[in-house]
Amino acid sequence: MPIVLEKLTYTYQNGSINAFTALNDIDLTINDGEFVGLIGHTGSGKSTLIQHLNGLMQPTSGKVYVDGIDMSDKKVRKLGRQRIGMAFQYPDYQLFAETVAKDIAFGPKNMGLTDEEVDRRVREAMRIVGLNETVFADKSPFELSGGEKRRAALAGIIAMYPKYLVLDEPMAGLDPSGRRGVLETIERFREELNSTVIMVSHSMDDVAKSAERVIVLQDGRIYRDGAPADVFCDAEELNRLGLDAPFAARLAAELRRRGCNVPSDIYTNEALACFIEHLVKGEV
Amino acid sequence: MLSVKDVSYSYEDSQRKALDGVSLDVADGEFVCIVGHNGSGKSTLAKMLNALLLPTSGTVSVNGLETHDEDSVLAIRQQVGMVFQNPDNQIVTTVVREDVAFGPENLGVPTEEMAERVDRALRAVGMERYASSAPHMLSGGQKQRVAIAGMLAMEPSILVLDEATAMLDPIGRRDVLGIVRRLHDESGITVVMITQYMEEAIGADRVVVMNDGKIAMTGAPAEIFRRGDELREIGLDVPLAVELREELAKKGVCDCGDALTLEDMADKLCPLFLKN
Repeated sequence: MPIVLEKLTYTYQNGSINAFTALNDIDLTINDGEFVGLIGHTGSGKSTLIQHLNGLMQPTSGKVYVDGIDMSDKKVRKLGRQRIGMAFQYPDYQLFAETVAKDIAFGPKNMGLTDEEVDRRVREAMRIVGLNETVFADKSPFELSGGEKRRAALAGIIAMYPKYLVLDEPMAGLDPSGRRGVLETIERFREELNSTVIMVSHSMDDVAKSAERVIVLQDGRIYRDGAPADVFCDAEELNRLGLDAPFAARLAAELRRRGCNVPSDIYTNEALACFIEHLVKGEV
Repeated sequence: MLSVKDVSYSYEDSQRKALDGVSLDVADGEFVCIVGHNGSGKSTLAKMLNALLLPTSGTVSVNGLETHDEDSVLAIRQQVGMVFQNPDNQIVTTVVREDVAFGPENLGVPTEEMAERVDRALRAVGMERYASSAPHMLSGGQKQRVAIAGMLAMEPSILVLDEATAMLDPIGRRDVLGIVRRLHDESGITVVMITQYMEEAIGADRVVVMNDGKIAMTGAPAEIFRRGDELREIGLDVPLAVELREELAKKGVCDCGDALTLEDMADKLCPLFLKN
């Protein structure tokens, strides 16, 4: 069962002279198992949209269904919310227990699991996010580096086995190895628990690395929705929207402009290098 | 001239040295980029440059004034303008113009001169149209430009940016980098830029790589980014153009030399396409 948004509209300060419609008549279905990259410039409605997915915000009009559960229905909303794991940009706001292990255990404990099951999940989550148990389990979350904090916060969410993982700028502010670590964590989590991932990111290159479907928001509407190759092939268009295409897509566009024959579905360095390899070896 | 001599520093509650015998000279008009993973010491080093932190041992001097000398601190802070990561923490008033005037006012700049300084600073960052706006209505990139204007109004000779683009979207980041680049090129201001983004280091005169509180490498961007494996080993990376160039070299396809930018790569690859 998927996540379904039906004619979702959200207006901030509805009815006042400052009313601002952040989401406008959005119809969207996110299918089980997808890795969706949600992109758009600041103010395009991305954060407003994802806060509707677990009922943190309620639509001005329209509906949000999580596995068929109507998220506007207070009686059942909790069931839908349990299926969604949300990670925000600032892990500091999500970590509060005295040790990393206790912090990760908080969510599963609240789900009423047995102590053994909570323990098992904490260990499993730490392994998935790459935080060594002997080193980190008894550390205070405040002793962690930025990347470690982000991973600890992710582990707390993973331990609840959410069917959907929703991430708001999970790599922002991290150094390159921190970014790599978090991205690998997300991919491993998805593989092992067979979850659906919705990732909001400004980094087109990170989105290009992992997403199978890219949705572009613009002025609160869905502007593009398709395979990365279809969305990233028009670097100029993305630029007009205040976005960047991934580096390889931009380079491919520049090469085409100079008269080189580069296919428009190339948007990663890996694919571009392979294509050039075949070209040089006379296989194209 | 900025001179860091054999500086070590430990935070109060930590045994570890955040800086461990760091020496670095930055010449007038130089554009230096400092990179390093989280916790490598680069922000600690930045805070040494305008006496926000004082070395446990060693010295830092700015145009001959030592940060240890209490009487010099005000003059040093006028000389070294700092812009930090979070734009919201740097805004102190409710009107852009007043925010930019805050620093020079504290320096005792006469009122007649103030308006002119503020206008000039806002023009330099392309924010003159927002002089009467409320800062909280601006985008992150615009706030950072106002923060830079606030520094410029103090007429510093050195601008230090401590991950000033980390919280911005791609457009905001490009705007801020463009402004810094222009200020450097046109008015010759010395720039020390601390960043996590290797792409931002490409245009620097010199890149300083920090690791475990020490300077691990220093050199021109072309030299530094030839050492991709070493950079990855200490939690860093190479710009995407260099990543592609490494990939092509590994496959034995072609040697793209010291290409660092998209244009460099296009120049190298284009003939390859036209030949095949």
